[in-house]
Amino acid sequence: MPPSRYRENEESKAVWVYLEQEEGTLENVSLEVLSKGRELADVMKWKLVGLLPGSGVHALAKEAITRGADEIWVMDHPLLTTFTIEGHGAVVYDAVMLGKPSIFLLGATHNGRDLAGRLAVRFRTGLNADCTNLHMDEKDALLVSEVSGFGGGVVAMIEMQNHRPQMATVRPGVFALSEPDSARRGKVIDVPVNLKPEQIKTRILERVRSGVVDLTRVPVLVVGGRGVNGDFETLKKLAEILGGDVGATRPPVDAGFIERERQIGQTGVVSSPKMALCCGLSGAFHLLVGIDKADVVVSINSDPEAPIFEFSDYYIVGDVSQYLPVLIQTLESQQEISHA
Amino acid sequence: MPEFHMVVCVKVVPRSDEIRVDRETRLLDRRHARLELNPPDMSALEMALNTRDRYGGKLDILSMGPLSFEPLLRVGLAMGCDHIVLLSDRAFGGADTLATTYTLAKGIEKMGGADLIFCGEESADGATGQVPAGLAEWLNVSQLTLLTELSLDLDKQTATGRRSLKGGYEILETPLPCVVSVKNASQEPRFINFSRKAWAYETERVTVWNAVDLNADPESIGLTGSPTTVSELARVPVRERKRIKLEGEAMAKAEQLAVIIRDSL
Amino acid sequence: MTDEIRLQLDDHMYERLAALTGGAVAVCYQCGTCTASCPWGLVREDYLPVRTIIHQAQLGVPGWQDNLWLCTTCGQCEALCPRGVKIIDIFRGLRELAWESNHVEKGLPSLLWSVYWSENPWSQPPSQRAAWAKGLDLPVFDATQHEILLYVGCTSSYDQRAQKIARALVSTLNAAGVKYGYLGNEEPCCGESVLSVGNKEYFKEIAGKTAAVFKEKGVTDLVVISPHCYDVFKNHYPMAENYLKPKHYTQYLADLISEGRLKFEVALKEKVTFQDPCYLGRHNGEYEAPRQILSAIPGIELVEMETNRSEGLCCGGGGGRMWLETVNAERFSNLRVKQAEKTGAGTLATACPFCTVCLEDSAKNLPPGKMRVKDIAEIAAQALKKPRE
Ligand SMILES: Cc1cc2nc3c(=O)[nH]c(=O)nc-3n(C[C@H](O)[C@H](O)[C@H](O)COP(=O)(O)OP(=O)(O)OC[C@H]3O[C@@H](n4cnc5c(N)ncnc54)[C@H](O)[C@@H]3O)c2cc1C
Ligand code: SF4
Ligand code: SF4
Repeated sequence: MPPSRYRENEESKAVWVYLEQEEGTLENVSLEVLSKGRELADVMKWKLVGLLPGSGVHALAKEAITRGADEIWVMDHPLLTTFTIEGHGAVVYDAVMLGKPSIFLLGATHNGRDLAGRLAVRFRTGLNADCTNLHMDEKDALLVSEVSGFGGGVVAMIEMQNHRPQMATVRPGVFALSEPDSARRGKVIDVPVNLKPEQIKTRILERVRSGVVDLTRVPVLVVGGRGVNGDFETLKKLAEILGGDVGATRPPVDAGFIERERQIGQTGVVSSPKMALCCGLSGAFHLLVGIDKADVVVSINSDPEAPIFEFSDYYIVGDVSQYLPVLIQTLESQQEISHA
Repeated sequence: MPEFHMVVCVKVVPRSDEIRVDRETRLLDRRHARLELNPPDMSALEMALNTRDRYGGKLDILSMGPLSFEPLLRVGLAMGCDHIVLLSDRAFGGADTLATTYTLAKGIEKMGGADLIFCGEESADGATGQVPAGLAEWLNVSQLTLLTELSLDLDKQTATGRRSLKGGYEILETPLPCVVSVKNASQEPRFINFSRKAWAYETERVTVWNAVDLNADPESIGLTGSPTTVSELARVPVRERKRIKLEGEAMAKAEQLAVIIRDSL
Repeated sequence: MTDEIRLQLDDHMYERLAALTGGAVAVCYQCGTCTASCPWGLVREDYLPVRTIIHQAQLGVPGWQDNLWLCTTCGQCEALCPRGVKIIDIFRGLRELAWESNHVEKGLPSLLWSVYWSENPWSQPPSQRAAWAKGLDLPVFDATQHEILLYVGCTSSYDQRAQKIARALVSTLNAAGVKYGYLGNEEPCCGESVLSVGNKEYFKEIAGKTAAVFKEKGVTDLVVISPHCYDVFKNHYPMAENYLKPKHYTQYLADLISEGRLKFEVALKEKVTFQDPCYLGRHNGEYEAPRQILSAIPGIELVEMETNRSEGLCCGGGGGRMWLETVNAERFSNLRVKQAEKTGAGTLATACPFCTVCLEDSAKNLPPGKMRVKDIAEIAAQALKKPRE
C-alpha cells in the first residue's frame, strides 16, 4: 500500500482539532471535539492543538484554550473569511504537513466533511467519518473510532496502523462539552498564510444563514397534533431550547395554526431526527411514516390508549398543556446549571 | 467541441433492515438481503437526468462492485441514462474511502474524463459521505457538495449550485469540470420509463472494467489499498421501540423526561 | 413549421390514447353529465371539468394535464354517462401518457419506487409485512389443507388502523372454523396503487409476478380485505378468469352466514349507516353482501344515507389520492360524515381500509364520540361472542 505523505515515524505526538467558525463564533461541534480531544491527549500525555483558519479570529483562540487546547494555530487571512474548499483546504493541508500530528479530528459538519474527504486523499491516509465514539488504544498509540452504518444498524470499530494522520470526523452532539476553564493558559501561534486569490476557484454568490425550514434533518423534531389546541408557541419554545424545530400533524395545518410546509408524514415531510417529541397526536399511520426514522420517539398524550405509545420509546399519559410548561421549566433550569 | 459528458456514481447496497452480522466471522452477511440502489444516489440520478434534459450531453453510470450488481444498475438506464460502466474485480473488494475514490477516479480517467460528476450525499451502508470530496481530490477538480439545485453555463464552463447550510443555503459558482454531491431526498427521482425498460434490460451498453483495464496500481485498490482496518463489527438489533411509560407525580415525570431528552441528544 | 410538429404530436397523442383506452374517448357526445355528477363539484368552485378533459383528449389539445390527478376513479360519472364512456379508462390512459413524458404529480414517483423496492406503496420494510399478525399464530397457506388464502394487502399489513381490520377478520374466520392460510412476509403486492395512478405497464409487470406467485402456491380461492385489491384481482389480472377466484371478505362472510357457518351471538344495539366503497359497489356491483352481514347481527339498526349504493359518495381515497394531499375544504369524506350524521347513526360502517382512514379523519371534526367509524370486519368480530368481562 502506498505510504501517506508523512509516515508513522515522522508523526508528532499530538491530537489536532480543526476549529470551524462562522462569523466570529466557533461551531459547537468543534468545541465538543476539542473536549474529547483533551481526553484522548490526556490518556497519551500528548499535546492538544486547535487549528483555526479564518479572518479576524484571534479572539476565538482564547475560547478554545479554555476548552482544553494547549496550542492554537491561527491562520488569519482575508481570503479565509468564509469557507471555501480551496482556501481552507490549502492552509489546513500546509499546517498539518508542518506539524505532522498523529491524530487530526474534525466536526462532521457540511464544511468539516468536505474538508476531511478532500484532505484525507491529499494526505493519502484513511478517514473514519461521522464517528459516534473515539478512544485510544494506549499500547499502540492508535485511535479507535466507532462508526455506524446501515442507518445505525451496524456498528464497527476502525483503526489504522501505518498511515498518518489518523483522521476522523465526529457527528455533532455525540460528545459532551467540557466546562470552560478560564484560568487555562495556552500558546497562540500565528501561522503565516500563503494564499493567492486565483487559488480560490469557487465563488460565493449568495449566502443565507437562516429562515430556511428544513425539517428532514433537524436534531430534535417537536411535533404538535390536534391535542395541542393550536398552541405552537409553547412547542416552538421547547424546540428552541433543544436546538430543534417544530412540525405538525395534518389537523393543526388544516386549521391554519401552522404552515403546510411543516406537516410531517406521508403527504408532508419525512424526517430523520435524533429525537421526535410527539405532543397531542394520536399516531396515525400517515403521520408515523414521517417520524419512524427517528432514533428516539417520546410522546405525551392524554389518552392512555393512544396508538402513538406503541411507537414511542418513552411516553407520558397526560395533558400537554400541563406537561409542556413544566418540561420547559425543567430544561431551562438544567441549562442554567450547566452554564453556571 | 466534444460532447458534454456527465457521470453519475451509483452504488448498489443491501437493504439495511435485512443484513446480518455473522456471529462467528463477525463479517457482514448480505446474502439474504435484498439489494437496492443506494437511496441517496437516487437523488443524484434525478439531478443528473434533469441536468441532461436541460443541457444535453451524455450521461453515464459509474459503479464499483460485483457483476451481480449489473441488473440493478440497469434501472438507471431505464430511467434515462445512456451507458453503464461497472468496475468489477475481486481485487477491488474490501475498499475503504481512499481505495474506493482512487478506483472510481481511475474509472473516470479511463472513460476519458468527465465534465460533471454526480454523487449521492452518502451511502446507506457506509454513510461516510466522503466519496464526493475524495473523488474530486483524486481528479483534481472542484467540488460543490450538498446541492439542492444546479445550473450550468456552458459558454463560461461553470456550474452554479445551491448548497444547503444549517438553517440556510449558499449559492456557489465553480469552473467545470466539477464533482457535485446531491443532498439526500432533495430530488424526487423519476420512475422507470417503461418505453425504455425492455431496451434497458437487453442493451449491451454495459462496460465492465477490471483492475488491469483501469491500469490501477494494485497496491492502491481494495483491501490492500485501504489504510483503515475494521477491528470489530456488531449488529445493533433492529430498532424496536421501548414503550416505557413514565410514572409518578407530574413534576417527577417531567423531570424524568427532561433527563431522557438530555441523555438522548 | 412548429404548428405542423404540434399537430403531429397531437395526432400521435390521440392515437396513443385511443390505443390505451380501447377507443373510449371516441363515443362521448359531450353532454356534460359526467362533470355534473362528479363529486369534485361539491367541494370545489372550479369543479373537475371531466367533459372538457375528454374533449381536449378527443381533439388532442393540451390542457388535460391540469386536473389529471384529482380523479378518485370513484366511477360516479361512468355510472350515469348515457353513452357508456369508460371515463376512468380515459383518466388512466391520460395518466399513462403523463408518466411517459415524466409530467406527474409530486409524490407519485415515490409511491411507485416504494412498490418497486419494498413491494408495498407505504415505504415500509418488506421484512415487517407480517408484523400485524404477531401472536396470532396464522398458518402459512397450503393449498392441500386450506379452503382459502387470506390476502391481507399492503394497507392492512402496515397501517396500524387497518391492521385492526385484518385482526378482526382473523377472529371472525376462526370463529366460523374456516381453514385458511396467509402468505406472511412473502405476500406480494397486488399493484392496485400503481394501476390507479395510471402506470399500466408497471402494473402489468406486477400483476404477472403476483399471479405467478399465486399459481406456484396453488391459490385459487382468495379472500381479500381491500376492495381495491379485489378489483384488480377480479378485473385486471391476466388469466384471472382461468383460475383466480377472488372474493371480497364481505362476500365471503355473507356466504358463511347463509351456509350457517357463521353466527353472531352478541347483540350490538347500534344504529349503523353504511358507506359503499366505490370499488366494491360501483366497480363490482356488490351492494348487498355488506348489508347482509350487518342485518345478520342482532341489535343493529341499519339506516341509509341520502346517497347510497350506486350513488354513494366516494371517500376521496381512490385513484392514488391516498398518497396526495387534499385541502380540508375539499375532502369528500367531510361531506360523507355529515351525511352519516344526518341519519342519526352513531356508527359509520364501511368495508375498505381507505374509506376507514379517510372517514375516521373526517369524523374527528365532530365532537368526540359522536361518530365511530368501523370496518364491517370489526363490527362482525364484536358480535361473535360475549366480550370478556
Ligand atoms: C390521504 C391522506 C394523507 C394524510 N397525510 C397526513 C400527513 O402527511 N401527516 C399527518 O399528520 N396526517 C396525515 N393524514 C391524516 C392522518 O390520517 C391523521 O388524521 C392525523 O395524523 C391525525 O392527527 P392528530 O394525531 O394530530 O389528531 P388526532 O388523531 O385527532 O389525535 C389527537 C390526539 O391528541 C390527544 N389529545 C387531545 N388533547 C390533548 C391534550 N390536552 N393533551 C395531550 N393529548 C391530547 C388525543 O388523545 C388524540 O390522541 C392524512 C390522511 C389522509 C387520508
Ligand atoms: S357523460 Fe359521457 S357522453 Fe356525456 S360528456 Fe361525459 S363522457 Fe361524454
Ligand atoms: S371517477 Fe369520480 S372523481 Fe373521477 S371524474 Fe368520475 S366522478 Fe369525478
